[in-house]
Amino acid sequence: MSANAVSLYLDPQIRDWVLFPITLVMILVGFLRHYVVVLLQSAPKKLPRAAIREQRALARAQILRATAAHSPIPPQTYTSISNYLSEAFATGAYLKDGPPKGDGPSAAPNPMTDPAAMDGMMAGMKTQMVMMVPQMIIMGWINFFFQGFVLIKLPFPLTLGFKSMLQRGIETPDMDVRWVSSLSWYFLNFFGLNGLYRLVLGNDNLADSSQSMTASPFAGGATAAGPQDYVKLFKAERDNLEFSEGLYNWAGKDVEDRVLRKYGKLAPAY
Amino acid sequence: MSLQSALEKLASYRTNNTRDSREVFRQGVVVLKSGRTSNLGDDGWAFLEQLTLASIDVGRLDVTDQCLKQLGERFPDSPRVDVLNGIRMEATESPSTVLNYYDELMNMDPSNAAVWKRRVSVLRRIGRIEKAVEELNEFLDTFYTDAEGWLELADVYASCNQYNSALQALAHVLLLTPQNPFAFLQYAETAYTAGDVPLALKMFLVVIDMNDREDEDTIPLGISVRAWWGIKLCSRQLIVSTPSYTSLSNTAVPKNIKLIDELATERVLTAYSGEQGVQTRSLVSTWMSGR
Repeated sequence: MSANAVSLYLDPQIRDWVLFPITLVMILVGFLRHYVVVLLQSAPKKLPRAAIREQRALARAQILRATAAHSPIPPQTYTSISNYLSEAFATGAYLKDGPPKGDGPSAAPNPMTDPAAMDGMMAGMKTQMVMMVPQMIIMGWINFFFQGFVLIKLPFPLTLGFKSMLQRGIETPDMDVRWVSSLSWYFLNFFGLNGLYRLVLGNDNLADSSQSMTASPFAGGATAAGPQDYVKLFKAERDNLEFSEGLYNWAGKDVEDRVLRKYGKLAPAY
Repeated sequence: MSLQSALEKLASYRTNNTRDSREVFRQGVVVLKSGRTSNLGDDGWAFLEQLTLASIDVGRLDVTDQCLKQLGERFPDSPRVDVLNGIRMEATESPSTVLNYYDELMNMDPSNAAVWKRRVSVLRRIGRIEKAVEELNEFLDTFYTDAEGWLELADVYASCNQYNSALQALAHVLLLTPQNPFAFLQYAETAYTAGDVPLALKMFLVVIDMNDREDEDTIPLGISVRAWWGIKLCSRQLIVSTPSYTSLSNTAVPKNIKLIDELATERVLTAYSGEQGVQTRSLVSTWMSGR
């Protein structure tokens, strides 16, 4: 330490009774959360057959379109499949609840009224709660008991820019940036423990809450594949199909020339 | 046979999807006798499933029952074990009993693809082809991406001489696996059998075109020999009766069909130029010259 810096001496008791406990509690809560989430996760709900059919109908068109520019199937077959799908999308043959009745505008499905979607959302919310509640409690605990504590000194110098990151909760303008406050130590752990969890619990662990914090329960993974307006999706897919029909080119169209050229029977085309 | 090497071999069979039931059974019994299946971890259960199927194949149902008992205790409600049980029943019970069992499973979970496929296979086996085709069509309407299912459908159609329908089914296989030359070969051969020779010719040529490893200096091997034979057969027919040939798919006959015919003759003869082909070469040449 340079001579002119004001030395600060940390009581070793702070290390034993504040620094280690905070770290330990956060690690243990991470493990606990992993197992609680595993317990809370209900088995993925089985979709009824009609719903699977509806969901996968789009994939059919996508598979057809994927190879359209170099399609393996001859033109007649291609157009017949393409027309069939387009027709089916237009009449709604693949819709879960059968073709739409009447000509009233189909209301976008409301996730609050669809019980299946509601279940998915509840599951997401439950997971969120398990993530949030312990973090809030730990933060409250640190704020209540250890507010303004300086816990640790980093062994390397840092620029002033890190002050707000490392000394949250301590409003001193001239303290060396290397000192870390209790609240900042909490945040460092909060964002930095994922590596440890991954080491102990494996790659797909659920202990890290810093990632799930950013995801809202309404847009979370559980509901991302949830309610979708298939009527609209099918309509869009019909346009795509038409578009692909323009792109369509059979792989076998000039294949004889290609093969003849490959074997040197035809002059190469330049 | 050490336990370790047996396990390794079985694992490699699983990853490569090899169905060498005799070998799997021989090695599997060693592992099963050692009683170590429970502490193999997750691999142990995959191994038991593998051994179950292999032992049914070789007809040692006592071993099958042992495996199924262990699996059933560990996974009481697993649909996968249900299917294994069904396959076990197919070995001994009457088809109607098995069908009832599968119906029951389907009622519980209408979207169980594995059970559905087993049901279709039983229906086909007992000769209710019509019902099997109907079920298979419904299955494929829901699970479109099942290339195996489409192949099976094509096979059923072909067995009933419905080659055009088989072609339709194979077209879906082509869409699903556009990188598989064997699918193209099957499509070409089915088209040939259906009488659509120009289409068959094109598809045989695609098979050749897909094969990057061969050019004019190499000897055709494996799939390309078959494809070249196909090209030769088609071009020979087309040269004889070009104008009168109508193709159901409106495929045009290539204008340089003579060149293709020459090339095919040359390639087929090359295929028989190696040491193994010496005896048959004269036969092939006779066939080539006599038209």
